[in-house]
Amino acid sequence: MRLDWKIIRGYQLGLWCLLLVGCTHKVDSDRPLTFWCSNNAGEITFAKEFTTRWQKQHPGKPLRYQPIPEGQSSEEIILASVVGKTTPDIYANMWQGNVEMYAKAGVLIPLDTLDGFLDFIKLRCDSAVVREITSSDGHIYQVPWKVNPIMLFCNTRSLQQWHTPTPPYVYADYLKAGQEFKQDKNGDGYVDQWLGYTEVKAIWYQRLFNFYPLYLAASNGAPLIKKTADGTMEAAFDNQYAIEVFRFLQTLYKNDYFAKERLSATRDPFLAQRIATQFTGPWTVEFLDKFKDPGFEYGIYSMPVPGNHTGPVYTYGDPKNIVIFNTCPNPQLAWEFVKTLVDKSGDLRLMELTGQFPRRKEIDTDPYFAGFLARNPRLKPFAQQTRYIKGVDNCELIVEVFDIISQEYEACVIFNKKTPEAAIHDAAKAVNVLLKSE
Amino acid sequence: MKKWTPYLLVSPYILHFLVFVAFPVVFSIVLTFHRWNIISPMQYVGLANYEHLLNDRLFWQAVWNTLRFLMVHIPLQIAIALTLAELLNRTIRGVAFFRAAFFLPVIISGVVVTILWQQLLSFNSGVLNRMLTALALGRIAWLDDPDIAMYSIAVMATWKNVGLYTILFLVGLQSVPIQYYEAAELEGATRWQQFRYITFPMINPTIFTVVVLSTIGGFSLFVEPYIMTEGGPMNTTLSAVMYIYKQAFQYYHMGYSATLGFCFALIILFVVIIQRRYVEQEV
Repeated sequence: MRLDWKIIRGYQLGLWCLLLVGCTHKVDSDRPLTFWCSNNAGEITFAKEFTTRWQKQHPGKPLRYQPIPEGQSSEEIILASVVGKTTPDIYANMWQGNVEMYAKAGVLIPLDTLDGFLDFIKLRCDSAVVREITSSDGHIYQVPWKVNPIMLFCNTRSLQQWHTPTPPYVYADYLKAGQEFKQDKNGDGYVDQWLGYTEVKAIWYQRLFNFYPLYLAASNGAPLIKKTADGTMEAAFDNQYAIEVFRFLQTLYKNDYFAKERLSATRDPFLAQRIATQFTGPWTVEFLDKFKDPGFEYGIYSMPVPGNHTGPVYTYGDPKNIVIFNTCPNPQLAWEFVKTLVDKSGDLRLMELTGQFPRRKEIDTDPYFAGFLARNPRLKPFAQQTRYIKGVDNCELIVEVFDIISQEYEACVIFNKKTPEAAIHDAAKAVNVLLKSE
Repeated sequence: MKKWTPYLLVSPYILHFLVFVAFPVVFSIVLTFHRWNIISPMQYVGLANYEHLLNDRLFWQAVWNTLRFLMVHIPLQIAIALTLAELLNRTIRGVAFFRAAFFLPVIISGVVVTILWQQLLSFNSGVLNRMLTALALGRIAWLDDPDIAMYSIAVMATWKNVGLYTILFLVGLQSVPIQYYEAAELEGATRWQQFRYITFPMINPTIFTVVVLSTIGGFSLFVEPYIMTEGGPMNTTLSAVMYIYKQAFQYYHMGYSATLGFCFALIILFVVIIQRRYVEQEV
């Protein structure tokens, strides 16, 4: 009898706890705004500095920053927080390709509805960027924040030793450099010195660092998907540029100019001079300068392009943007804070603290940033490249589009089982089926 | 009040079952008729997910990959586990050490074992290829050759799990009455005949258990290809579970992923029923 009552009491207590937890979720317009930043040291310092400054200037408008909670990926954490309705008010590290999904789900604030947003953005970014970040419904849900252009790093001294053509490269010269540089140094019948290495695995995001920047470079920044006259989306990459990129990469692997196998278990292959070139971003500069051997010299150049290429050389900018979630009790106030992160002084601090670049026009010529670039000459090529960068197309299915391309990339480029023409055509066909099914 | 006591006592389990088993199963079946990306409202699509599944070349390739893995993994596992159990069933010095040693990989984290084997099988710097090079036999792309990769993973998974099945077989072997062997020996039966006509029929239930356990374990293949090859090269190591995971947590196609999971569960059920009939006939 007493046991029965104890069990019933236990249940009652449990139910009360559940009810209390369930009832605590309500919009509190008086609470401090929350700002999630990335969890790398530079960006944490950046977030801390700007929230402290904000608090000093606006003591009546509390704002707290927090590095994004640990997880397998920030995308996963953000998704979980959206599902659990525990999103921050402001999040500063959203991959551009994910924004459309959240926008369509209605969990983001359309920023163009906030006072002063459009005027500010048009001053900071050029019209192409504004077009790129505009959602399919005509609204803007993201603040273009920072970029890391993918460029070609070359071990200049090493390449000179082998009398290879000098960068920047067109495909033919790059392939010739590969022919000259490839070596079997220990005579075991296997190549152990390659021109370059880029991740071969078919996981979709790896194509953002090889196929996609090369495609943008060859095509002057053409999109992967486009809107047709009847308003539907279709693949836009079934063209000569994509085919040439596939052929170029396929030749690099076929002739052993690029390593197919992961060059792990030892020192960084670029520093160890097992490869002479790599496609990477500005984050590599600090690493190389810290660990390079005396006498190691490298240069940073635009991505290789076809021989008949004219005009500027575009690349992928790996843009990360700022969003405001609809759980925010005061979006206008949140935007006022975000504005401090992306105005000129905010952008300069971002460069100083993280070595990354703001998505702002004319960084390379604006006197305001000249001092920073003079102090960091290694980063100058990236600053110049920011004029010619692209993000990804605004499409909810962009990850699957890259996945389809990635499957064909593996079949054609890595395993030589398909011609570039067939691989690109099949990828475009599959993308069209995918886009029509939605 | 007293008549409620038993119900109250079993209610935590019932509650647990309803929340963590029954609800997810029912919800998954409901999901198969919807399109849902977690953050948008669910959209009823009827049988569209099933229709898509029938035409999904990658899903059937993933199922075929899983079956290929099982075709190597199960026989290899049974053969090695049974051999080891036979050897460990003798009174030799250090038998306890060997039993522990063979069981050790089972309790080591799957991720750790996988990373270890990834290093062993590396084309450029793997121990195996270094040995082959030293013997002038040439390197093998264990994880990078579409024709070999899945078999490399099958061997690795066998190494990881064989200890568990060895112990199961050992228990089976030790439950065979010694008198049968004594009688057979008196009749002049050879060791092989003893195994063929006494051991094998007597441990048949254990064999069936091992076959079913390793089939279900093999069907849930995920960690090894996910870490070692990410499903490549050319999707030849993409397992069915990995594909279901990819659809759910990479593309957020929760409805379609549930459909894949539901159909895959039916495939497993079908295979286990076939196995059961076959093994029972063998008995």
